[in-house]
Amino acid sequence: MSKTGHAFYFVIAVVLMTTLGCSQPKPQTLTIAAAANVQYALDSLISIFEQETGTGCEVVVSSSGKLTAQISKGAPYDIFLSADMKYPELLYGEGLLKNKPVVYARGSLVLWGPSMSDSADLWQLLSSDEIRKIAIANPKIAPYGIGAMEVLTSMNLLDGVEEKLIYGESIAQTNHFMTSGATGLGFTAKSVVMTPQMRNVGKWVEVNTAYYTPIDQGMAIINHEGYELPSAQAFYDFMRSSRAQSILNYFGYQTDF
Amino acid sequence: MQVILLAIDMGPLWLTFKLAVITTVLLLILGIPLAYWLAYSSSRSRFIVETLVSMPLVLPPTVIGFYLLLAFSPGSGFGLWLDQWLGIRLVFSFEGLVVGSIIYSLPFMVQPIRAGLVNLPVNLMEASDLLGKSGLTTLRQVLLPNIKSSLLTATVLTFAHTVGEFGVVLMIGGSIPEVTKVASIAIYEEVESLNYASANTYSAILFVITFVILLVLNLTNGGYFKGLWKW
Amino acid sequence: MVKAELSKRLHAMGGEMVLDVQLSIEKGSFVTLYGKSGAGKTSILRMIAGLMKPDQGMVDVDGVEWVDTDEKLLLKPQHRQVGFVFQDYALFPNMTVLQNLAYALGKGQPSSDIDPLIEMMELGDLQHSKPATLSGGQQQRVALARAIVPRPKLLLLDEPLSALDWEIRQKLQEFIRLVHDEYDLTSIMVSHDLPEVLRLSDYVYVLENGKVVKQGEPISTLVSNREGIPRFGKLGEILSIDAESLTVLVDNDIWTVPTTNINTHELHPGRKVWIAPISNDVVINLMD
Repeated sequence: MSKTGHAFYFVIAVVLMTTLGCSQPKPQTLTIAAAANVQYALDSLISIFEQETGTGCEVVVSSSGKLTAQISKGAPYDIFLSADMKYPELLYGEGLLKNKPVVYARGSLVLWGPSMSDSADLWQLLSSDEIRKIAIANPKIAPYGIGAMEVLTSMNLLDGVEEKLIYGESIAQTNHFMTSGATGLGFTAKSVVMTPQMRNVGKWVEVNTAYYTPIDQGMAIINHEGYELPSAQAFYDFMRSSRAQSILNYFGYQTDF
Repeated sequence: MQVILLAIDMGPLWLTFKLAVITTVLLLILGIPLAYWLAYSSSRSRFIVETLVSMPLVLPPTVIGFYLLLAFSPGSGFGLWLDQWLGIRLVFSFEGLVVGSIIYSLPFMVQPIRAGLVNLPVNLMEASDLLGKSGLTTLRQVLLPNIKSSLLTATVLTFAHTVGEFGVVLMIGGSIPEVTKVASIAIYEEVESLNYASANTYSAILFVITFVILLVLNLTNGGYFKGLWKW
Repeated sequence: MVKAELSKRLHAMGGEMVLDVQLSIEKGSFVTLYGKSGAGKTSILRMIAGLMKPDQGMVDVDGVEWVDTDEKLLLKPQHRQVGFVFQDYALFPNMTVLQNLAYALGKGQPSSDIDPLIEMMELGDLQHSKPATLSGGQQQRVALARAIVPRPKLLLLDEPLSALDWEIRQKLQEFIRLVHDEYDLTSIMVSHDLPEVLRLSDYVYVLENGKVVKQGEPISTLVSNREGIPRFGKLGEILSIDAESLTVLVDNDIWTVPTTNINTHELHPGRKVWIAPISNDVVINLMD
């Protein structure tokens, strides 16, 4: 390569490094990659953890699928909190995790109508003509969507409502469809309606767990070429402690499994 | 990376091209008068309109989609009015995608046409006026035939831009198969669920078809098909 | 036939200029607006055509009011029935010569109206060519024909020949006069080319800085009077002077004239003169 070529690449490298280098988290901070549905509980979990251990935490919230793809390409996350077990097990199979993923919480589904009154019969409305669109997370890419589809199938409602379904690319978008009034009704994670902001918004009903496979959410420490932050193990243990579990319970997750 | 082509559902591809063609045609119908007005009007509001037309270039597509979702949600406001009075819903429907695409691709149609008109010698229009011709006649028989390459550029850009549309569709589409699940959404979902082989297949087909269409249009503009069809 | 009183503030390169003119043009005459570039001649023409609006004024053509700023009347160019010939031809590039001419036909006008013009302007062989393939002179012939197709009463020509070279200009001047006579037109031409003005016009308005400084019959108006101006003279440009003779470019010829009986006081190279042989002498008058 000519001198100009070298110089060119050098300049590009310098520019990239200075811009990207600035956005790396400080070495001691713990970076947690979390699926959308757990972000609400995570705020409270983190403030306790930070108080207890003095370790700063940064959270990256995205869909489990995106996070998995990024982690498999070397994203600098320390802990992965997925919305299911499938994604973390995939990463374990690629040898990217320190240990086999464990369940940190079991999520539940609710049927939610953010603008409905307390007297509304949500299940009846589901099949009625009054509701034109029903939001669910896309079963292809979002774990809570699989549960929602299972519910509709086992309750024999699917044929009637299938053409009313619209698919959110994540729990976050599914919620957004509902809260913006774009759809009247939809299935979402219980953790969403348990947050302080949404607790009293509209009406929601819990879906009987008999109708869908438990949504076991998996957690794991990410292994970066043999190196991992000591605080990662601390957080991992914290998440399985009773203090963390009571917070998770508050947000509607089950922790007895 | 292994490239495997699989048998995939062609629905999203068909939907993408349907959306792109309809959007392009509608934008030609809307864009030509708008570009004409911007090129020749002496009204001061011209500057405001011109800026508004460029806005879709500035805003991230997901932001455009977000505001469209708010505006068109049947829960309130404009969306409610549309639903009650016209029975139309512009969220989670193909019609909604068309409206979203028209807004999203508007500058790509209007700006090249406007630039083409502005670069025509002024006296062409003057000569036509002095021969007693109406504005519409002048537009159809003198102005448009002399900005053919601008029209083609505008069409090509609009079409290609709409084929690649993702952010807006993501926000207001709802990924409904055969209705709003266009190719870009399908590819995204395949990637999300780590089905890279399917994602590659969709992408490859999309790329090839669009490449061929645009190549034909560009060659036509360059005069390579003089024998086959009149341009 | 044409009465116009026009005033407008114009912004030219050198600054602002106030255009303020009064014209009265007889039916059937060929009038030239003459003056240096930027004197406002083209603006006057455009205001008569309807391509420009005067700040204040009126235009009355054959008893019909086209412009009256007091009444807020401004007839659109479409309705003015003028033929207009532009300096850069303004032919429609997407149409052939024939199509350009056919486009000019008015509602209900038979297409046979084009034929005599094609013949007169010698466009027969060029009918199916597109303007881009034609020379400047050919394009201007087409432009002239096209302007006449709708049989207007008024013909406006905006420096129609300035882009053409001398020989072609000569030929086209003949066409212009031919068309004017043949179709009973009233014509107003803008030009800064003296030979052209002298050759074609019945009447000339001399403009300077937006005002009419002189007007009248071409030769007497334009040639500064020295010793009575012979009409049979020619326009020339002085190429050089020495002690004994004067070299003058007349049309495309070079004349050498002895300076014995000539007052060479104000003569210098570049000066335009009116030169006429009388008996054995040559009379030279200055062009303004």
